[in-house]
Amino acid sequence: MTVDDTIVFIVDDDEALREALGELLEANGVRSVLFQSAGDYIGADKPDLPACLLLDIELPDINGLDLQRQIARDDHPPIVFITGHGDIPSSVRAIKHGAVDFLTKPFSDTALLAAINAAIAQDRETRAKRAELTLLKQRYHELSPRERDVLPLVVSGLLNKQAAAELGISEVTLQIHRRNVMQKMAASSLADLVRIAERLEIPIQHSRRMGGI
Amino acid sequence: MIAALHRTPPAMIFVMLALGLAACWSAGTPIGILAPLGALFLYARGYWLLSLWGGLLVALAGAVLAAMLYPGAIRDASRSLAALATVAGCIGLLLAPYPLRRSSRLAAMGRQAAGQPDGLAGDMDSVPEGAVHPDDRPAIAHAAAYAFWTGVPQVTSYRLREPDGSYRWTELRAEPGYGVSVDVDAMVSRPDDRWTVAESLGETVQAVQAAKVIESLHGKAWAFDAIGKFTYVTPAAQIAIDMALEDLNRRLGEREFIDGGEVGWMRGVHPDDVDGAAATLRHCLKTGEPWNIEYRMLRATGHYVWHRISARPTRDGEGRITGWFGTSIDIDVYKKTEAALREREKHLEQLIDTVPAMIWSMSAEGRPIYLNRRIMEVTGATLDTVKASDGSLSLKKMIHPNFWELAEKTFARSVATGAPYDIKYLQHRAGGTYRWTQTRAEPLCDEAGKIIRWYGVSVDIHDLITTQTELNLRKQELTRLIDLVPSFLWRLTPTGAPNFFNRRFIDFLGIDDGDLEQSRTERYAAALKVAIHPDDASRVWAEIKDCLSSGRPYAMRYRLRRHDGVYRWMDGRAEPLLDDDGGIIQWYGLSHDIDDQLRVEEALRESEQSLRQLVETLPALIYCAAPNGEPIYRSEKLGEFLGFGLGDKDAEGRTRLTGTLEAIIHPDDLPDVKERYGHSLATGAPYAMKHRLRRADGEYRWVETRTAAMKNAEGEIVQWNGICFEIEDQVRAQEALTLTQERLARAAQAASLAELSASIAHEVNQPLAAVVANSHACQRWLTSDPPNLERAQKTIERIIRDANSAADVVGRVRALFRQTDQARNLCPLDAILHEARDLMMEEAVRRRMRIEVEVEAGLPSLELDRIQIQQVLVNLIRNGLEAMEPARRGVLRVRTLRAGEFVRTEVRDTGAGIGAPDKVFEPFFSTKSHGMGMGLAISRTIIESHGGRLWAEDNQPSGATFIFTLPAEAKADHDR
Repeated sequence: MTVDDTIVFIVDDDEALREALGELLEANGVRSVLFQSAGDYIGADKPDLPACLLLDIELPDINGLDLQRQIARDDHPPIVFITGHGDIPSSVRAIKHGAVDFLTKPFSDTALLAAINAAIAQDRETRAKRAELTLLKQRYHELSPRERDVLPLVVSGLLNKQAAAELGISEVTLQIHRRNVMQKMAASSLADLVRIAERLEIPIQHSRRMGGI
Repeated sequence: MIAALHRTPPAMIFVMLALGLAACWSAGTPIGILAPLGALFLYARGYWLLSLWGGLLVALAGAVLAAMLYPGAIRDASRSLAALATVAGCIGLLLAPYPLRRSSRLAAMGRQAAGQPDGLAGDMDSVPEGAVHPDDRPAIAHAAAYAFWTGVPQVTSYRLREPDGSYRWTELRAEPGYGVSVDVDAMVSRPDDRWTVAESLGETVQAVQAAKVIESLHGKAWAFDAIGKFTYVTPAAQIAIDMALEDLNRRLGEREFIDGGEVGWMRGVHPDDVDGAAATLRHCLKTGEPWNIEYRMLRATGHYVWHRISARPTRDGEGRITGWFGTSIDIDVYKKTEAALREREKHLEQLIDTVPAMIWSMSAEGRPIYLNRRIMEVTGATLDTVKASDGSLSLKKMIHPNFWELAEKTFARSVATGAPYDIKYLQHRAGGTYRWTQTRAEPLCDEAGKIIRWYGVSVDIHDLITTQTELNLRKQELTRLIDLVPSFLWRLTPTGAPNFFNRRFIDFLGIDDGDLEQSRTERYAAALKVAIHPDDASRVWAEIKDCLSSGRPYAMRYRLRRHDGVYRWMDGRAEPLLDDDGGIIQWYGLSHDIDDQLRVEEALRESEQSLRQLVETLPALIYCAAPNGEPIYRSEKLGEFLGFGLGDKDAEGRTRLTGTLEAIIHPDDLPDVKERYGHSLATGAPYAMKHRLRRADGEYRWVETRTAAMKNAEGEIVQWNGICFEIEDQVRAQEALTLTQERLARAAQAASLAELSASIAHEVNQPLAAVVANSHACQRWLTSDPPNLERAQKTIERIIRDANSAADVVGRVRALFRQTDQARNLCPLDAILHEARDLMMEEAVRRRMRIEVEVEAGLPSLELDRIQIQQVLVNLIRNGLEAMEPARRGVLRVRTLRAGEFVRTEVRDTGAGIGAPDKVFEPFFSTKSHGMGMGLAISRTIIESHGGRLWAEDNQPSGATFIFTLPAEAKADHDR
């Protein structure tokens, strides 16, 4: 674990606990940023690093769970909840919505650091996946319109002849497009292209069976 | 014959003329002219006679001259004419004496017989010619002729034959146009030895004889000789003047009288007259002319008395004066009468000139002939200015042009008809102005009724006219006033008979002016009698009768029928006019139509009545105060509440306001009330205050008083109107509520144990978590290589701080739990319900929501912890209100009813409802942003500890219902 390439966002209204957590993380070589409320967190400029959000459920402006729901659509760091009550419904709900852990005060440093590390690891992985997808999308955008037409047909498993007929073009032309797609999408094989298409959530429009009709 | 002719002179002349002309014509000579000439001589007198004579002489002379100068026929004619004239002259001489007799006949017929009533002679013409003694005829004829020709009055005496043949002496006084005959024969002479006759009468025998004749007339007769020496004086005369003959003739100087000397008789003549008398006598003595004179003679009594003296000479055959005889007549009375008459005439003239009236006269034809001095002075007119060029009356310069026509018409008519006239016009004044003048004129008629003259008088009536005009104007004004004044004025006699109604009253009653059969009073009385409303009549007449007899002023209200049959209310008043003795002369009255006023008053009264009823029935205490705060009105309720009247607390040295306030306000509130009420009175600001008010029974009750100023159009405060509510119950309820709230607050702390424990855990966990975290951090700093002691030290300080904070929390919690538990009591649930409702009412109103509570009647009391159940109710109600919050409106219904062995209470809201009716009771379940999710959990714990149940149901279409049951039968539950 290196201090520089990760960060922990702490959101707690209790100043004493906030400082104590910051101190503890700093003592363990983890960089942290402290926020007093959910509003402060949302409005702040956050570095683009693998991170973890340490979130108290009872906050002065909005509930921690509500904040979780609010930022769910965005790319946000994995959340570790901390609470004084630790009631079951809240923890269940938090976990359901993707919280990494739900810690009840007081908690040990081991539990805290483990949760944080897990969260950061998860974030790192998420970030890697997100980077790969971004690359694939970029490649996909470089395809010509005809190539974009060709791609779903190819990954659907249609024969060249079928696909060419589908598009109303010659088989030869289709093959040229297919080679170009493979090349542009950096797919080593058809299987690889299928996997990529799956990642890009390109719908499979025609099955071979359908084409048989 | 002559006497008969005398009576018809014109006929005589005409007859003579006719005879003469006939004679001339038949004889061919002018001799016939003699007849008319003779007739003319018979009747001509005075200057006419002279002219006749003159004419005759001129004709004679002319004829003689012509006869001498011309020969022939002319001479013959002239000769005959001269003869004719001579014959005519002879006839004239024959007839000439008659004029005296004519004049005597025309004289007044008065008698002057020196006190003797009988023996009236009448005039000479009325007695036979032969009645006068033959010896006296020449003397009478002479005296008459003399008087006629000279105009000097003559006195002659003659003897008049009585019917028995005897003669009586009569004295005739002849004046021109005037003659008196007096019978003096009866006067008796009284011989006296002292009075003597001259020894030698000498040549005066005849005179003396004459004098004696006179003496026998009992007159003062005398005779003297040719040189004026008295030879005889009647004894009576001597006595009267107290002078004997020798006294009269005594020479007082050297010279004889005739030579200008003074003699004795002259002493008896008034000094003013003596010279004239002597001179004339001397003249007469020298010339022989009769001596006629009037002078004052000294009587023996010492008085000067006027006498008329007449003396005539007696002559011998050669015409030489032989002596004189004379008489003196006492004419003092006559003289003085004449003087008095003159005086009176003068006085009259002065009177006419000075009397303050303008007097004038004019002839029968209307020509002005006289203007008195005053008319000339006042009008500046003279006879010339009022005369037209032809001498007739011209008023153009006298009167105002506006009246010319009228004046001329009136004047012309009067002159024509002889009717007196009376006219008023503006007459010119010397100053150039015009003034009102009244002129009256009446004619003076003779016996035959012929107008002789018009006499007129003009009186200045300008001031009168002006005053009258002014009076008329004033009267008109007064009449108009009386008729126009919008009231009915009337007048009664002392007996009560109406004798005057003004025009309005007459019109109102519709009295017909045309009905003249009855007198005005009767008509008025009849009209009035039927006009008074039958219901009022007896009352009115009784009152009038009473007033008439007692004389006290009359005032009544009654109905009077108008001419159209409508009865109108009247306010009648009358007062008597008294004379100096206090007797009633008239009653003057006024009736005013107050019908409209009464209606308005009635409406006002009704309106006021209804307002008053409104005020009195309002469930509030109402009062009014003057602008200075003095109480002026109190509603009955307030009066009853306070138990005393408006003025009952008045006392010396303080205002009614102060007195009232001190009496009714609780002593503790009094300063505050005074200050704030005073402030309102000073500034006009509305006043509102809650204080204690003393009730009549002495108990102080809480009231809320509000007072506001009533202002007029100008914004000035007219009155303060106030209202006072009794809020005793409200205040008491508020107090109870406050108590409950306090208790509840305490109870709430105690009751929410479970919730508190969770809260405490949170409170304690927070610092505890910090302590743990800091401890780990510290451990980490200490175990690092090299150990970071500085940071370790810092974390340890934080650990101490947070640990202390945790200890504080524990301390607070301990303090919280000191509340003692309360035992369960038997309580009515509805009371608790209402308390809870009241507690939450304020919050509901703030949220604009309503709480409806429905409690089934006859619910049993339950054994329960009042505070805990109240807590549950409050909790449920608050939850319901909060659930309805988004709608900002709604009704929360709380219903309690019996359900078998339980009493069931439902709290129903119209909010969004609840997704999981069971989950809400789990601890830490909350749909609210702030809630901890403990309320329902605790509530359920409480209810269950009471042996009941609490659950929730969703409503259709919206909202939720929380229901709890409590066992109806009290069960011992020691499970607390």
